[in-house]
Amino acid sequence: MSVTSAVSSDYNSGVSNVPIEHQFNPYSDNGGTVLGIAGEDFAILAGDTRHTTGYSINSRYEPKVFSVGDELLITANGFAADGDALVKRFRNQLKWYHFDHKKNLTIKSAARFIQHLLYGKRFFPYYVHTIIAGLDEEGKGAVYSFDPVGSYEREQCRAGGGAASLIMPFLDNQVNFKNQMDPDSNGTAKKELKYLKLDEVISLVRDAFSSATERHINVGDGLEILIVTKDGVRTEYYPLKKD
Amino acid sequence: MFLTRSEYDRGVSTFSPEGRLFQVEYSLEAIKLGSTAIGICTSEGIVLGVEKRVSSPMLESSSIEKIVEVDRHIGCAMSGLTADARSMIDHARVSSLTHDLYYDEPVGVESLTQSVCDLALRFGEGASGEKRLMSRPFGVALLIAGFDDQKGPQLYHAEPSGTFYRYDAKAIGSGSEGAQQELQNEYHSSLTLKDAELLTLKILKQVMEEKLDSKNAQLATVTKEKGFQIYNDEATSELIKSLADQDVDEESEQI
Amino acid sequence: MSNPASINGGSAVAMVGKDCVAIACDLRLGNQSLGVANNFEKVFQFGHVFLGLTGLATDVITLNETFRFKTNLYKMREERDIEPETFANLVSTSLYEKRFGPYFVGPIVAGINSKTNQPFICSFDSIGCIDYSKDFAVVGTASDQLYGMCEGLYEPNLSPDDLFETISQALLNANDRDALSGWGAAVYIITKDKISKRYLKSRQD
Repeated sequence: MSVTSAVSSDYNSGVSNVPIEHQFNPYSDNGGTVLGIAGEDFAILAGDTRHTTGYSINSRYEPKVFSVGDELLITANGFAADGDALVKRFRNQLKWYHFDHKKNLTIKSAARFIQHLLYGKRFFPYYVHTIIAGLDEEGKGAVYSFDPVGSYEREQCRAGGGAASLIMPFLDNQVNFKNQMDPDSNGTAKKELKYLKLDEVISLVRDAFSSATERHINVGDGLEILIVTKDGVRTEYYPLKKD
Repeated sequence: MFLTRSEYDRGVSTFSPEGRLFQVEYSLEAIKLGSTAIGICTSEGIVLGVEKRVSSPMLESSSIEKIVEVDRHIGCAMSGLTADARSMIDHARVSSLTHDLYYDEPVGVESLTQSVCDLALRFGEGASGEKRLMSRPFGVALLIAGFDDQKGPQLYHAEPSGTFYRYDAKAIGSGSEGAQQELQNEYHSSLTLKDAELLTLKILKQVMEEKLDSKNAQLATVTKEKGFQIYNDEATSELIKSLADQDVDEESEQI
Repeated sequence: MSNPASINGGSAVAMVGKDCVAIACDLRLGNQSLGVANNFEKVFQFGHVFLGLTGLATDVITLNETFRFKTNLYKMREERDIEPETFANLVSTSLYEKRFGPYFVGPIVAGINSKTNQPFICSFDSIGCIDYSKDFAVVGTASDQLYGMCEGLYEPNLSPDDLFETISQALLNANDRDALSGWGAAVYIITKDKISKRYLKSRQD
């Protein structure tokens, strides 16, 4: 007699003949938000330090913006494991670049290289929004931002991660003076672009993050700002609301 | 001597008891049979010059290619079994293009030379399982000339043994001994590109068996501004003419 | 994009100032990514009360008519205009009536109470839950962007002129980061005895 009987009884009615399917989801969202701004002779890359899965806070201080050498700052915000893997791979390859070419990696080259790291996983992507910051060959501040599969662009400023949609229009308005007019022109001329000073940028970043903290549950706890100038990299930390 | 040698010169990557790799050493001999090639590095750029052996009046001399472009900022002259250089040049071009693709910058001249030399040892299996690509070592040496932002104008000599050195001026091929001696006499660090062009031709003229003309010699330069530029026959003729004029002047001065 | 509330696109925002309130909306009406009209106002006036209605355009039009009907009846019965607080409750109950087949809208109410002269703003979800606010209220497809702008730009007790500048900048910059909002804007500045309406030029992409 076969084990799977065609006759139904009280004892086998609950047994399903359909195979049970299990699914592994390789991705998760660890929240957080990041922000890069380029100044005339400096660049900053900032991120909050909260690390979450769902509604749980795993850590109130888990840095996700890194100084990787050669005056380069990098962050990969989204799925933290992918972000860490990407940064680790970049650090490793940066060492090899030094061995092979005996010179510093410029931010332009770093950007192109990261495109290949990301596009290399085109069909199983790193689930991250990547931003790098540093100084370009002329010593001017530079920020490059990437989509998960490596499309990239140099920009004056860029917000990434959970609260990017909250911060980005604020940056358009306050950094690139979008929708602002020259007060003396009676609404005929746009307000002229100018580089912001470092202290102005820092207070803008702090404003942006406290605003995002107020309205976004995955943003908060702490704000870590990495600043790169010709004198090197400096870190500043400011507490954010922990609720 | 010949008997002891024959025991060990069969396997390309087998050391002799004296610690020599005969096939590699023989490959260096092959270069000494090749036509002369000269490179001179100046602060303004690098000049490459080669002798072309036009073995028959029916031969189209422009089909002899001994100076080639690797990338805009790197050129290469060769001597020896020039057919072997094809795969090296291909590799160099791929390396340069790949570097530009990955890093959005021109490859360094030394890095490029290194990557060509990595290929030179692929007549044996690699330590980390790389496939054996060739049955024997290359029979060709390269003069790699290039410019990069890091070190400016540079000239490298790459051998079939996989070693390479940087030179101010270097000659390879059959006339290399005499040519190198002459380079040593004439080279100085304040040489202009124009000086180097004429010096290259002058030395080629000295070491070549045939009479120097635009058909049996070729010149090229690499500069920061214009990159790699190969000289056409007219430009070469002109230089040869001014070289002849110079010689006449010197002779008349001596008189 | 099968969410009915984001087929047509559009956003609105309200703010409280010193003895004044402001309410503003964009002018776009779209069909998904296709722009259809650039004169689709989403702020409606009922006496001295203002209602911003974003979401599914058909529901916006229907609800506007419904509230016009209901406030007219209110005015006839009570022989006075409806006050903002009262109107907010009318909106809430009207929406909750359709608890299991809701209107796909995001409403906001703004006005100054004619008895107490107190500024009043609030917003709602699609089934009428009131979100009272002391500073600003946002709705629509650019609500994330508007929250960011308002949190960054807003400060209490602004004069009518400053409030106009603040709400305009908030709306304009938020709309520019939302493909479904924009194509011009309308701004109302409301004080006890004056209502001003201004149209804003904005990016047309």
